Amino acid sequence: MHGLIHESGLSEILKMKQNILKQLLNRPLGFTCIIILAIFYLCAIFAPFIAPYTTSEQNLKKSYHPPTGIIWKEGRLHVKIYKNIDPTAAKYEYSFGNSVPIHFFAKGYPYKFLGLIPSDRHLFQVDRDNKIYLLGSDSTGRDTFSRLVYGSRISLSIGLIAISITMIMGFIVGGLSGYYGGKLDFFTMRIVEFLMAIPGLYLLLALRSALAPYFDSAQMFFLIVIILASIGWAGTARIIRGMSLSIRSRQFVLAAESMGQSSIIILFKHILPNLTSYLLVAATLSIPGYILGEAALSFLGLGIQEPSASWGLMLSQAQNMKVFMLNFWWLLTPGLAIFITVIAFNVLGDILRDIIDPKMKA
Amino acid sequence: MLLLYSTLQIFKKGKWALYLLPVLWLYLASCSKPPIRHFIQRAIPEDSHIISHNPGKRGGILIQSEAGELATLNPLVASDASSSSAIGLLLSSLTSYDWVKSEVIPGLAKSWDVSEDQKTFTFHLRKGVFWSDGEPFSADDIIFSYQCYYDDRFPNRTKFFLTIDGKPCKIKKIDDYTVNIISPEVYAPFLSFVAGISILPKHKLKNAYKEGTLLKEWSISTAKNNPEKIVSLGPFVLHSYRPGERIVYARNPNYYAIDRGGTRLPYIDYIIDKMVSDMNAMTVVFAQGQTDTETIRPGDVAWVKRSAQTHDFKIIDRGPSSSRTFIWFNMNPGNNSDGKPYVDPHKSKWFNNKTFRQAISHGINRKGIVEGVLFGRGVPQHSSVSVANKKWHNPNVKRYDFNTKKARDLLIGAGFYYNDRNELFDSDNNRISFKLQTNKENDTRTEMATIFKENMHMLGIEVILQFIDFNTLVVKISDTFDYDASLLGLTSGTGEPASGMDVYSSGGRMHMWYPQQKTPATNWEARIDELMQLQLTTLDIEQRREYYFEVQEIMAEQQPFIHLVTPNLYSGIKNKWQNVNAPSLGGLIWNIDEIWSLKK
Amino acid sequence: MIPFIFRRLFTLVPLLFGITLLVFFLMSLAPGDFLTPIKQQRDISEEYIIELEKQFGLDKPLYQQYFLWLKSVLTLDFGYSWTYKVPVTELLGNRILATFLLSFTSITFAWVIAIPMGVLAAIYQNSIFDRLSASLAYAALSIPEFFLAIVAIYVAAQTGWFPIGGFTSIDYEFMSKSSRLIDIVSHLILPTIVIGIGSIASIMRIMRANFIDAIRAEFVITARAKGVQEGIIMFKHVLRNAINPLISSFGFALSALLSGSLLVEIVMNYPGLGQLIYQSLLREDQFVVLAAIMMSCTLLVIGNLIADIILAWSDPRIRFERDT
Repeated sequence: MHGLIHESGLSEILKMKQNILKQLLNRPLGFTCIIILAIFYLCAIFAPFIAPYTTSEQNLKKSYHPPTGIIWKEGRLHVKIYKNIDPTAAKYEYSFGNSVPIHFFAKGYPYKFLGLIPSDRHLFQVDRDNKIYLLGSDSTGRDTFSRLVYGSRISLSIGLIAISITMIMGFIVGGLSGYYGGKLDFFTMRIVEFLMAIPGLYLLLALRSALAPYFDSAQMFFLIVIILASIGWAGTARIIRGMSLSIRSRQFVLAAESMGQSSIIILFKHILPNLTSYLLVAATLSIPGYILGEAALSFLGLGIQEPSASWGLMLSQAQNMKVFMLNFWWLLTPGLAIFITVIAFNVLGDILRDIIDPKMKA
Repeated sequence: MLLLYSTLQIFKKGKWALYLLPVLWLYLASCSKPPIRHFIQRAIPEDSHIISHNPGKRGGILIQSEAGELATLNPLVASDASSSSAIGLLLSSLTSYDWVKSEVIPGLAKSWDVSEDQKTFTFHLRKGVFWSDGEPFSADDIIFSYQCYYDDRFPNRTKFFLTIDGKPCKIKKIDDYTVNIISPEVYAPFLSFVAGISILPKHKLKNAYKEGTLLKEWSISTAKNNPEKIVSLGPFVLHSYRPGERIVYARNPNYYAIDRGGTRLPYIDYIIDKMVSDMNAMTVVFAQGQTDTETIRPGDVAWVKRSAQTHDFKIIDRGPSSSRTFIWFNMNPGNNSDGKPYVDPHKSKWFNNKTFRQAISHGINRKGIVEGVLFGRGVPQHSSVSVANKKWHNPNVKRYDFNTKKARDLLIGAGFYYNDRNELFDSDNNRISFKLQTNKENDTRTEMATIFKENMHMLGIEVILQFIDFNTLVVKISDTFDYDASLLGLTSGTGEPASGMDVYSSGGRMHMWYPQQKTPATNWEARIDELMQLQLTTLDIEQRREYYFEVQEIMAEQQPFIHLVTPNLYSGIKNKWQNVNAPSLGGLIWNIDEIWSLKK
Repeated sequence: MIPFIFRRLFTLVPLLFGITLLVFFLMSLAPGDFLTPIKQQRDISEEYIIELEKQFGLDKPLYQQYFLWLKSVLTLDFGYSWTYKVPVTELLGNRILATFLLSFTSITFAWVIAIPMGVLAAIYQNSIFDRLSASLAYAALSIPEFFLAIVAIYVAAQTGWFPIGGFTSIDYEFMSKSSRLIDIVSHLILPTIVIGIGSIASIMRIMRANFIDAIRAEFVITARAKGVQEGIIMFKHVLRNAINPLISSFGFALSALLSGSLLVEIVMNYPGLGQLIYQSLLREDQFVVLAAIMMSCTLLVIGNLIADIILAWSDPRIRFERDT
């Protein structure tokens, strides 16, 4: 643990950071994870451009449509056209030879590029009378791929936002109580222990059922962030308290104290820099927990609400038996997306820990 | 090898005892035997109920699954469907209901006379009927039961049915086998309401009645630990109950019905009701051949059908069901405790505008909902009474076909206008936008709501969806009234118009668009009130139909409920079961005492 | 040891007090109560609802409700379930048994798979097996349990090899004793695997690390120098030392599983404590939620306690702390 605490200034920290990134990219596994996460986050940022349809665009004649096949024809990519041969079982068949070309950078529904520039260009489109379903469609004929892309905005950002809040809270509470000690320390640590003693998921459920009526379903996102953060800060605070307790007695802190610097300044100027690498590792390793927390809540129908999309919510649709029995396997893809994201963060966190402190163990 | 070694290591250290503990538990748990029940079998009653169907054979076990947990077996406490259906197997009533013919048939009373003023009903009870424990049944049980239901110490929902115009019925014992019930007013659905009133055993419950502990009797604790304390008059007795797991019913050896061949009913030896988590699980166990009968939702019919051959069952298409889904706007003009109106005044103005509601109705793609959500297995609904309810459905009400152009014309005609971005505004320049809430537990409803949102988008109306917990929703529609529009459903049981009183009459609690009005807010609501009262106090069926048809016409014209679709009803049942007679309303097996199995 | 156990159990008191207070408060914030759905039924009169409210004490102020409940808990009466209409203790018994059984089988399953795998991975360090098992462990740790549960149900539905959900079969009561046992076991298999897989990964990783540490220990070198057979060294000396720290994780694993199986129980329709808490929370069946959460917290503390005791038992170097 102590290996990562350097008595160093800001510039050295920055140098170390660059170093970390370099080492990370040098490892094939780390490189892969970074690429995967980069693709996912880019998809989230450019969702309106990448998704051919909005999350709510329906086609009631094409519910549970299978993924459309893509073929090479007449010198360009075409998408196959299917016919609904049995609407009572949502059975579709490729009507042979029937296909329409895919248009790249074509006009589609209007949106604001990066939330600023109005645009209606999309990565790919087909003509208005047909649909391209890369990952099939759901019960009201909405495009699973588009929903997955839009859903990533929620699923991926919720982890980042929640972790920033918990890290800040954990740092302030843990840092202060470690720094001051005494009664403050005693009380905060009892609260922390209390929060950690309650089974997390139960607290999550209780909090959500208590708070939900005071939030609109559009604000559900913030509610979930608040709930996740309010449970998650305790663990971070406890560890940071221990670390700041040990740093506190270091000479440079004592020196700063004797120079009359205020405790807040000491906390941010001297203690924080020494904790950054730890915070980085801890954050990377805890993000999956928040992603899974959101997914679990939405999966139970207690989180993000229709018609917005999140991966957990999309997966809750897959709980329906007809999805399995009629083999609508594409509705399980959100589970796969969660899985890939979580595994990427886990591997990345482990590698980061390895780089920053080879001796540090879980 | 390694595995063995590490196991051995643990055993060597003496920690194996820890491992043995759960095994021991498992064993103990599996040892709890169902209690054996002894019965005194009595002779077939002289007035036994002779059923006219083809005689069958004794034997067989009917296995069903259920999603709801049993709450009680006490008819005074029961308020949920699971408990009521369980009680229906155990207890009987004076009259019974034939779901196929949709008429009242004899139950514990073999016949009845109605006095000239149509207020006094004289019931002639069957002689020689015994409770499952061998005690005789007589008029005293009837008197005792009505006493219990009327007693203020025991609040119960049955009292509601027995209270007519705020006044109780009078009940009189003439002799051991004759009872008089005098209704305070002429009351059309009297006999069918009597069919829902379970008769309680005086010999078992009189002490609890005296001590005032009646509500604590026959709880699921009794069902679990002392099932023999719960005596039956119906076709089955409670055999055993394990909360969260299953209920087992056994044949009541003293049931009062026989077939033409003189065999005492029911034929079935046992009924097993397995508790599962939800509709999904229920459908799965049926498709796997584990249960004998199940209601299949439209979307599941296709895949369940696939295993029909393997598990030897069939799926019966019973046509449109009695359940209906509708949207309504909050038309309540009242203020909350802070003096603020429940609904924004400008919104309230739209919601109370008949043309606005009609336009919305024209904008809904009901056929699309049937195709998309119900896999084509359903019909658009226009009348407030389902097509399935053949006796009372009015087929000639005004229809609102999916016609965006017409809807827009209607809106423009009513003073609304569109801007250049195709957004709808009212004459005071308010953008037309409202919130629609529904309960999130029901995925068919949430899917319909998302379709509605898209449909309204085509009319330039913005709909904000709110999927909330059922509890929260109920509080909003019945207490706080802080909502714009709601999507919910109702299922009607027998389809008897009187059961719709609370919905149609303006003072009713289920008059959802503006409940519990002191005086009717509009002329058309006043007319509905009048018609509902008229049908209640008329015994002539044709006359009643005429009144009820007019109610449906007004509902269709005014659109306080904007009906969406009626899903079809599908029931699966194993082919071995005989005498299955599917009614168009209600459960498939309503005549449980007549069902028999070809195979053992 | 006894005072140690008492001290640990004593910490439960403020914990349980705090948790119940918190849960009571949170549940009161949610709109409506368990009577709300009843209000929606058209044939229930308002007087009846008011009567019921009185009967269940819902008309009293919140703090009074809490203290009434607390008072009855002190006399070991955990109240009455509103939805099930039975004393809460009666309701909890079966559920705890079911959850405990599931936790136990999944820990055993995880251990039986994970320890040999961890040992093999350590012995053949950096081999293909080691890498493969490491990546599998990552996968197992990262896959959401509820997703795995859905997949398991899918497999059960498609193959028909396993029952879908539940604790026993439908015709359980008509079975012989031995087939009852088989029935319960067959119902346990899928949830055991689903819950166990996550812990396999972590146990395997710990086991591997411990084993590698132990291989490098001095006594191994000494034994090798003495010419003891390699197999005996590995099993007799290394494994014993490597497994000790894991034994302590047994208790932790137990407590983690007790609270962590909630989602799996819901998806797989397993009638355990987690499912009960979830359903009661949705139905606002207050006393059941309170008692069940108290129960699972107590089990959590006891699980940790067992972990400490086992550790001390298995490793004579560890003594129970004297103070704090």
